[in-house]
Amino acid sequence: MLETVQTPSKPFEAVHTPVRKNYFNEKQGILSWLLTTDHKRIGILYTASVTAFFFIGGFFALLMRLELLSPRTYLVSPETYNKLFTMHGIIMVWFFLIPSIPNTLGNFFLPMVLGAKDLAFPKLNLLSWYVFMLGGIIAVYTLIRGGVDTGWTFYTPFSTTYSTTYVVAAAVGIMISGFSSIITGINFIATIHRMRAPGMTWFRMPIFVWSHYATSIIFVLATPVLAITLMMVAVERIFQVGIFDPALGGDPVLFQHMFWFYSHPAVYIMVLPAMAVVSEIIPVFSRKPLFGYKAVAFSSMAIASIGFLVWGHHMFVAGQSVYSSMAFSLMTYFVAVPSAIKVFNWAATMYRGSISWDTPMLYAVGFVGLFSIGGMTGLFLSALGLDVHVTDTYFVIAHFHYIMVGGTVMAYLGGVHYWWPKISGKMYPEFIAKISAITVFLGFNLTFFPQFVLGYLGMPRRYAAYPEEFQMLNVLSTAGASILGVGYVLPLFYLLWSWKYGKVAPENPWRAPGLEWKTPSPPPTHNFEVTPTVSGLPYDFEAQKEELNLV
Amino acid sequence: MSEAATLALREQFATPRQQRETASIGMWVFVVSEMMIFSALFVGFAVYRLSSPHPFDIGSGEMELTLGSINTVLLICSSFTMALAVYNAESGNQRWLVLFLLITMFLGSLFLGIKLTEYYDHFRDHKVPALWFHYAGSSAGKVQMFFIFYFIMTGLHVIHLVVGLGLLLVMVVRSLVGAFSPEYHTPILMTGVYWSFVDVIWIFLYAIFYVPGFHIK
Amino acid sequence: MNTHLVSLRSYVLTWLALLGLTVLTILIGFANLGQFSVLIAVSIAAVQASLLAAVYMHALFGPTLVRVIVAGGIVWFLFFLTQTLGDYMTRGWVPFPGK
Repeated sequence: MLETVQTPSKPFEAVHTPVRKNYFNEKQGILSWLLTTDHKRIGILYTASVTAFFFIGGFFALLMRLELLSPRTYLVSPETYNKLFTMHGIIMVWFFLIPSIPNTLGNFFLPMVLGAKDLAFPKLNLLSWYVFMLGGIIAVYTLIRGGVDTGWTFYTPFSTTYSTTYVVAAAVGIMISGFSSIITGINFIATIHRMRAPGMTWFRMPIFVWSHYATSIIFVLATPVLAITLMMVAVERIFQVGIFDPALGGDPVLFQHMFWFYSHPAVYIMVLPAMAVVSEIIPVFSRKPLFGYKAVAFSSMAIASIGFLVWGHHMFVAGQSVYSSMAFSLMTYFVAVPSAIKVFNWAATMYRGSISWDTPMLYAVGFVGLFSIGGMTGLFLSALGLDVHVTDTYFVIAHFHYIMVGGTVMAYLGGVHYWWPKISGKMYPEFIAKISAITVFLGFNLTFFPQFVLGYLGMPRRYAAYPEEFQMLNVLSTAGASILGVGYVLPLFYLLWSWKYGKVAPENPWRAPGLEWKTPSPPPTHNFEVTPTVSGLPYDFEAQKEELNLV
Repeated sequence: MSEAATLALREQFATPRQQRETASIGMWVFVVSEMMIFSALFVGFAVYRLSSPHPFDIGSGEMELTLGSINTVLLICSSFTMALAVYNAESGNQRWLVLFLLITMFLGSLFLGIKLTEYYDHFRDHKVPALWFHYAGSSAGKVQMFFIFYFIMTGLHVIHLVVGLGLLLVMVVRSLVGAFSPEYHTPILMTGVYWSFVDVIWIFLYAIFYVPGFHIK
Repeated sequence: MNTHLVSLRSYVLTWLALLGLTVLTILIGFANLGQFSVLIAVSIAAVQASLLAAVYMHALFGPTLVRVIVAGGIVWFLFFLTQTLGDYMTRGWVPFPGK
């Protein structure tokens, strides 16, 4: 049942339709937002926060790339450059990537996709946002006071003893934001176990849920270890005891074990929700059920589990035992398998499907390609011999940016566009959105592909100055970064524009089969007028055709 | 279904049973996340103990073994009284519920008092790393490492215990105003899980810090 | 609903078992077992922890999910411990000098 859609005749002529009561307009005033326990409003609060952090982190990247236009330092001193890459890493990893999809799209849609009224613990959900903001404010404070220069990895003993920057403040900010992740993980796990709609068995849940479940397991098991590790760095720095500083009797490799035990699973926190979004978009825009549903569901769980057993691959040259390195290398090869299974299944979903190239699909397919390249270069890095050559070079940087930026950020943008009609009740402008997506894709590749070459040729990471012969590739990379930046800024403008001036969206503009589309756009505060019951499999386009009487 | 139970049903749940089970899942997942916090410290401790077993034995020898053992017994008894509180919440015996909650708090506070006494004694004996540490003998650095872990781990445990005491106090107050009934006493159950978890952590801390010291002394 | 999830008898027996195991731990401490004393003490502690979880925290008497969650936490801790100690313990194994 499609609502009538009105098209404005001029770009800035507001569309006046009688507005139904929904989660956005039902209660008004700033307190109703700051004290809300509605998961949808909390999702919006998080979206505002992570967007701000994204642009802050991006600003540091811009400065770095500008500095790297020249082989000699000209824009900033090497010490300042150290602070730039550290703050870029800290803000992007902990204040953008980790909360990006789970706390925005996950918060908004997990209950809806399950047919629930809200998450299991709505007040805890609000608390998690405040805790996140507290951590973020401390991080910004660190920034204002002069930043940190240890690298986002805080390796000891530089971070504990020799750095003269605001290490403790940064550590505290990150630690606090970590608690917000743990709270979110607890909330999601309890919700998925006990708040599904009647009839929704585990194997009738969309992959969006499976992936967020796997992500939540990592939140809960890994983040506490980070909290303690950072706390120990702070204790060591304040009290000058020797836990990780060899001069004081400590072991710096132990720090790396503890740090990477969290930080490797953390990268799966960053990618699993992205895979969740892509698994929702591709079936809808191929008009075909997801191929190999069970394989994709189990592979999410496999990634979360095996992902905890590979952390030593960050420490191959750190002095770790050779046998241990071999074991970690082997496990790293294994962890690639479930990811590959997902890629095959997405491709198989598209095969003989009826593809429409709307913006969400552009982002999703872009994800599949770029994630594959990022993933395969990860395999190069897991080979011990190759790793010795390319570790700590731009090869590693290109590898993880292909996954985190080419992967997660594209999936995030794809998800935002896909669900934008549901969230805002308006359609975004399709043409400019497509231009934006293509700009992101081209800008991204121009930025990061040269970095694979640079790394292989030997350019080290975290260096402000470099040999002359690397300049051409660096200039290409910076040019790409500028284009990428444009691609990121455009959605900020046209999405906000569309909220007020866009076409009114129908209940189900993509004719998608999920439960979240069986409620008006934007949804009412209680999500569903009547609690839905589920009797069929997810992604059931045949059943949907009968339901809509469209054959 | 009593009025207390209906009133306590939160909006997002369909039945009290769903609410109870969800709360239980949430509490247990929280307990596991706390397990991982202490896990990291246990792993660090294990690494250092493996590399310097003898200085760590010396460190254990400096512990106040009697006080530590009394503390272990106190916490075990407090877990027992907490379980009895849960038992009485299930029966709806408000008086016994409050009594056992108060006894649990009392035992927990005794633990706290003894622990703080131990800390004071360590301070007096110059065994506080960095601030006031002196050990005459070789491998003083390794003995200090023992004490670094001791203070961080038992300190973290004390913080969790104090939070537990706060939780118990809140439960006492809520019980006194009649918030709980045989149909609805989930917060008491959850407090019980948390409190027993605090006990579990202590039992492991006792094993790694105190037990080797018995042989030394 | 006056049925009790766990009987009073179970609570009392568990309490006595926990105290008994503590006494056993102390005796192990007095015995001259060298480095094994910590390992055995930790094992006894694990038994005590299991009793606490099973009876006082109702893990044995609640839904299976709770046992799965607890087992998961234990397994993950063991992942962390074994692979970290594995590094340290295998460092000396290489039969050529320099590493």
